Amino acid sequence: MVSLWGFMGTNRGEQLSLLAMSALHEMANIGLGHALKSLSELTDKPFNMAIPQVDLLPAEHVHQLTPDPEAMCVGVLMPFCGDVEGHLAFLFPWASAQTLWRMLLGSSPETPADVDEIATSAMLEIGNIINSSFLAALSDFTQLHLESTPPMLGMEMVGALASSIMTEAEMSDSVVLALETSIFDAANETQGYFMCIPSRSGLTVFFKGLGIEEAA
Amino acid sequence: MLEPTFNVGMGDIHVAKGPAKYQCIGLGSCIGLALYDPTTDISGMIHVVLSELPSHRDNEPLGKYADTGIPELLRQMTGLGARTSRLLAAYGGGAHLFSLGSQTSTTLRVGDRNIAAVQKLLESSRILTVAKDVAGGAGRTMIFHATTGVVTIRTLNEATRDLCNLKEAIRGRVAA
Repeated sequence: MVSLWGFMGTNRGEQLSLLAMSALHEMANIGLGHALKSLSELTDKPFNMAIPQVDLLPAEHVHQLTPDPEAMCVGVLMPFCGDVEGHLAFLFPWASAQTLWRMLLGSSPETPADVDEIATSAMLEIGNIINSSFLAALSDFTQLHLESTPPMLGMEMVGALASSIMTEAEMSDSVVLALETSIFDAANETQGYFMCIPSRSGLTVFFKGLGIEEAA
Repeated sequence: MLEPTFNVGMGDIHVAKGPAKYQCIGLGSCIGLALYDPTTDISGMIHVVLSELPSHRDNEPLGKYADTGIPELLRQMTGLGARTSRLLAAYGGGAHLFSLGSQTSTTLRVGDRNIAAVQKLLESSRILTVAKDVAGGAGRTMIFHATTGVVTIRTLNEATRDLCNLKEAIRGRVAA
């Protein structure tokens, strides 16, 4: 797995230390743990989450997270600001998004055209909860001031969603922390990709907050 | 003759003489630009991510930015023997995929900036744009089959359709 934690940003030769990488993994675990707790409280259902894989990727490789770049995906994107600027994003393959809707609403839209206001706001709310809790945990963990902004929804080819997210993030000079996640309750399991995209200088600030000096 | 297929990823530039096929899969706010010189049968494609190279960046792939990538694409094509004045262009992309309720995020207007940058660079090089399919809210896959000249676009909601044929396009018949 370590070999997958490849390269950083524009400087391909530079790799994060194992310490920095495990700090990121830990931070992600705590952040998403908090998120799931909030989700369980909101829905009054127990949810669990696993993070099988953590990658730190250069922007242009993000679309390779999923095997078919033209597959339908639902994305929730939330910019954040404060001591560090960046973006949080969640990508759910269509079938996973449907599972998630079933978990929360009891039923799911058949096609993207059937996604009504309730389904839209449910998905935005999930994104909001997960992203805000992650941010809050990150904030506690690093003692940095971080503020969320309202989430945005996109339903499109995963390649197009991912490249748009990365394009936006690239503008602030970034690398991406990509986490493969699976959310499950008693009956269902759903796969998703969570991304934290701090500005490049932001990554250094994060590491300082964690007490790690990393030449990022 | 074997027909090479190029997967034109973010920031990539590919050029060829003779038969070739280029594909930009899943364009969001990015732009796929196809160029063709009918006289020499030289073709090329670029996948532009952003409009301008930020001043503090170096060691960046030239193809990532319209202002560095398009001149580089022209350089590579003229290096093979193409002439800029003969080039025909087709491009697609520049969508914005994320929305906040009914209002579109202003920060995600990257697509619009990309469209403007590509258009301006083509105009300043006096390259004729035969067809374009830009903006809107749909991600696109754009395929340029240089062997036949056909440029196609497909989205999640539409079947593959022809955008134009760069081999049959005649100078002076400009798309709007």
